[in-house]
Formats: sequence, C-alpha cells, structure tokens
Amino acid sequence: MAELHWASAGELARQIATKAVSPVEVVTAHLDRIARLDPTLRAFITVCGDAAVEAARAAETALAAGRAVGPLHGVPLALKDLFATAGVRTTGGSRILADSVPAEDATVVARLRAAGGIVLGKLNMHEFAYGPEGLNEHYGLARNPWDAAAARIPGGSSSGSGVAVAAGLTPAALGSDTGGSIRIPAALCGITGLKPTYGRASRAGVLPLAWSMDHVGPMCRTAADCALLLGAMAGYDPADASTSVLPVPDYAAALTGDVTGLRVGLLRGFFLQSAAPEVAAAVERAAKTLEGLGAVVDEVTLAHMADVGPAAFAIVASEALAYHAEWMRTRAADYQADVRERLRMGAFVSGVHYVRGQQLRAVVRGEVDGALARRDVLLAPTTPLAAPLAGELQARVGDGLSDVRSALLRLTRPFNFTGHPACSLPCGFTGGGLPIGMQIVGRPFDEATVLRTADAYQRATDWHARHPALA
Amino acid sequence: MPLNVDDMIRAARLAGFEWSASELEPIRPAVERALESLARLERLGPEAPEPATLYRVV
Repeated sequence: MAELHWASAGELARQIATKAVSPVEVVTAHLDRIARLDPTLRAFITVCGDAAVEAARAAETALAAGRAVGPLHGVPLALKDLFATAGVRTTGGSRILADSVPAEDATVVARLRAAGGIVLGKLNMHEFAYGPEGLNEHYGLARNPWDAAAARIPGGSSSGSGVAVAAGLTPAALGSDTGGSIRIPAALCGITGLKPTYGRASRAGVLPLAWSMDHVGPMCRTAADCALLLGAMAGYDPADASTSVLPVPDYAAALTGDVTGLRVGLLRGFFLQSAAPEVAAAVERAAKTLEGLGAVVDEVTLAHMADVGPAAFAIVASEALAYHAEWMRTRAADYQADVRERLRMGAFVSGVHYVRGQQLRAVVRGEVDGALARRDVLLAPTTPLAAPLAGELQARVGDGLSDVRSALLRLTRPFNFTGHPACSLPCGFTGGGLPIGMQIVGRPFDEATVLRTADAYQRATDWHARHPALA
Repeated sequence: MPLNVDDMIRAARLAGFEWSASELEPIRPAVERALESLARLERLGPEAPEPATLYRVV
C-alpha cells in the first residue's frame, strides 16, 4: 500500500480486515503525522492520542479473535469540535465552552464508533460555526495546506476538517453545514464533502447554529469514502425529530461508475456568472467530462437565487441569536469579534422578516424540485473563487467586487435553504495552484445518485488524488 | 433605511439586550444594508406560499 496517511478510508478498512496492516499501525501513522504537521496547520483543537491507540489495540484484539467487525473497523477519523464526545471536551471553537465535557456521544459519532471508526481528535472551526472563512481567535487560524506559508484561509466553518483531510492527518472527518460549512472548506482545501438531505443524518448532540438550516455530513478525499461514512451514520434517530424514517440505501453499491443517460443540469445565471473565470471554466470542463462519460447535459437557470441571501440571513440570524441569547447577555466579551457582531445583528430581524424568509424558502424549494423533475442532478461551482488570504476582505468575482464572506456563501447557501443533498468535489486548480470545487446537487434523499455522479467523475479524473506539498 | 444608533439601542432593549452605542455603532452600516435587502422580501405578499415551517423534505 502507498503511504498510510494518503490511503483512503475504504482502502484502510480493506487492508485492516485482511490483516495486511494493523489498526495500531494505521492510527500511529496518523498520530505521528499530526504531531509533525499540526503545530503549523492547526487543524486540531484536541488530539485524543492515548484513547485512539487504546481503541486501535482493542480493534486489533477483536480481529485476532475473529469477532465480527464493522465497515470502518480500525479506520481513523476526526470530528469538527461541535460533535459531542463522551468524556472529551467539545468546545464549539469557543472560549465559552472551552471546558465543556459531554457525558454522551452525538448520535452520528456513536454510529461511526459502532461501525469501528477510531476518533483521533476534535477539529478546529469558525467559532460556533458562524462564519465561512474558518477563522478562530481562541485556537488559532487553521491554515490551508495548499498555501500554508501565506496563511490562506481553509474555508469554514468546518476549517479543521478540510485541513486535516487535505493534509493527510486523517482520511475522514465530520463537518456541519448551515450555509456551506462542509462544501466551502472542501472546495478550498481540494477534498470531497457531502451535505446530505436535511433529515438524512441526525443532529442530536451537535451544537446548533440554526436548527432549520444545519446539516451534518462526511468530509473525505473521495466520493467513495463519503458513501462509506454516510452509510454508517445516516438514518432515523428518535433524538432528532427532523430525521426521516426512509431506509438508508447501500451507498457503496450505488457507485457503479456508470453515468450513461444521466441527466445533468448545468446551473447558469446566478451560479456561473458569479464565478471567477477560471472557476467557471473548470466547471464547464467538468460538465464536458460527464458528457464524455455518457451523461446528457443541459443548462438551467433558477429565478429566485438573488433573494436567498437576505432570506437565509433572516432565518440564520434569528435562530442563532435565539440559541446564544443568554451568553450574549452575560458573556458577550468572550466571543470573537466577528461572531459577536453577527449575533448582534439578529436582534434587528423581525418576526415578519423571519416568516418572509420561510415563505421564500417554500418558493425556492419548489423551484429546485422543478429543475430536478426533469434531471437527475444539477452542477454548479461550490464557491465563486479559490481560497483567499486571511484578512482579505474583498474579492473580485464574476459580477464585480464582493466582500469575501458573502462571496464564499453565495453558491452553497441555496441548498441549505432548500435541504437538497449537495456534494463538493475538486474539478481543477487555479493558475496559482489552488483547488477549485464544484457541487453536484440531487433530489431529496437521493444521495446515491449524487455520490454515483461524483464517483464516476473521480474515476475519470485525478484532481481529487493530488496532494499539497507539505514538509 | 437610515438608522441611528439610538433606534438600535431601543430595538435591542425591546429584544432583551442591553447593548451600548459603542457596541452597536460598528454594526450599524451592516444592519442598514440587511434591512434594505430584507425589504425586498416584502414583494412576496399575501399570495406567496405558506412558510416552510415543516423542514423535513420527505
């Protein structure tokens, strides 16, 4: 096998199951790499080294005894630090929860452990998940591994998840996504991240940003690994009333590599006009690649996208301030400045604004459903630009200058608003060597087709297989 | 919509937050822009669909 730290989660699971490599070797290789690289990259808030080695030894014993093992047996993974972990602090990237130690695992964490996954640690994030840049004043800026020396942002809010997977510190991570927080760091760090359908994976035990827009999902280097993790974590949970009772399909079995006749709608207008020219060109080339694989590509324009920003703001700002209200009264000084200011803005959103936002949500959901009635998936850039420098406030995107924060959220947020599943995967690099991401959007609860499309594209291209040069 | 910081202090107080002028002045321009963009949603009017209060997609 190639270097252990670049092996996929699926490959590690296969090698461990056949005893070609031991869980202890795998976990130790990743912990060594974290010790070497993370002081610069700052992907982790907490490393659970001893517990991970102990779990790896137990996994080895189970294998030696011939006990039945799960699909992730012995495979290391890491968690954005808003997933509750029994006995391990869960900070939300904040000072306020710096010493908060949950008694139980979040549902999805418990499911991944039950499948054999071994938790390496808790990952850096934008404080309380309230920002797409991935900034954190309390635990340091996680650095984009494609240009760590220049302190380029990894994207957020699941910044540590993006960095850790891209840098080979873990083959898989969990993130959460309220406006793009899985897909934005996936795009900026050159990895693959899936925001499942709202209701596909439980949010129980996950610190909320905005309940009605929050999703949790896997971040890996391949669509096949996202399928592996989603299969282990998805499904109904009585502790999360929004989860669906629909059965969880075999996502790995859906990865046939065949997209013959698949109907792909390339999102023009708002989506491609917003993108920097080299981002738009990369996505158009990806559409051609899918066409070459047998897909049927046409073009789609969605009418109401420009209003999604204000409507989503009304919803997120209201729900976020409702969750943080008590701390904003008593501990406002403990928030980092940008998050504190964003939370304060929620006080100026009225009940009428909130309801108008939810009305537009119904309109836009119907519009996206309509586009998908005649197509299997939609295709668009994930972000209009590649990773900006930390501190860069404005960026030139296709239709003019924009503040970086709005630009990063612009193309991902519509699918938090509607709840449709969306997967970001690499589709090229800029002239400066930074990854470019595209997103594949599917029908509600049809993650299988989204992942099949992404996997077929990755079988035909090697963008996802490129790694940043790290010392 | 032009907004002055005294209005913001009063609105925040009605929402249960005792924030000072020095705390609110930095976000005043952003709140103004946000309120302008939110006003666009009024186009929806009474004939718009019911709010999407049930988030489960299926």
